[in-house]
Amino acid sequence: MATTTTATVSIGQELPRLVKDLPQRRIDAYSGVRPNYIHSDEAFARKRGFRAPLAQAMMSTAYVSELMTRFVGTGFVKGGTMSMTFIKPVFAGDRLTVHGVVKEQHPEHGRTRVVVEVWCENQDGDKTAIGTATGLLD
Amino acid sequence: MIEFPRLTYERLQVGEEFVSDTFLVTPEEIETYAFAVDDHHPWFFEDSPFGGPVAHPTLLGNQALRLRHSRYTVPGGLHAKMEFEFVEPIRPGVRARSRGRVVDKYERRGKPYMVTEFTTEDETGAVLVRGRFTQMLFRD
Repeated sequence: MATTTTATVSIGQELPRLVKDLPQRRIDAYSGVRPNYIHSDEAFARKRGFRAPLAQAMMSTAYVSELMTRFVGTGFVKGGTMSMTFIKPVFAGDRLTVHGVVKEQHPEHGRTRVVVEVWCENQDGDKTAIGTATGLLD
Repeated sequence: MIEFPRLTYERLQVGEEFVSDTFLVTPEEIETYAFAVDDHHPWFFEDSPFGGPVAHPTLLGNQALRLRHSRYTVPGGLHAKMEFEFVEPIRPGVRARSRGRVVDKYERRGKPYMVTEFTTEDETGAVLVRGRFTQMLFRD
């Protein structure tokens, strides 16, 4: 599906952004529902000091995976990597925008590994997750 | 029988190993995941360049992240860091199992953290995904 090749990638290139809404229903589908669980039990989340249930940070890795699969294609699904740090909580009802900028490319076993700086921002412009993701291009 | 003691920083041992149960990757699980993360890429439902559909690369992440639940009752916590290496596509029909090992634990700003390295394999032992994650533990 992706048509990205080494010939079409440039350092500093911005990937098409993704916008993701996180209603409680999707969080429930991702994490499951149970009592005393920060992702589905509002009272428990408040007891732990949060204003609402939290989306699992792992959901942001899925968003970065989507960003990279759409950009790199098969070379992310087989041979891709991701390294993320979760720096702010994401709450039920938040909207995230997922960003990526190409930082470098280097040869690897006859192919090219493209390194992308990635991050998620909430609706207030605060970064919630930062990191890098890589994939292989032909 | 597993006793499931409550997980505490003091009880947790570096070097401890965990093994998950197997998880059958079904088309319905792939569809549920697609709904949860609002990603309906055609490779997940139709054909892909790998021959047949494949699952989201991160589909099995929670199997790894929940490894500690195979031995402990976990009071909850926050996910601080995640590293993935996607080795092979995850195909429907695979029975996946994750294995993990606690490689570090530390306290930072008064909060306890644990670091786990994991691999997720299919029923033949072929590695699908490997990685490492850091979790903060809630204290009671």
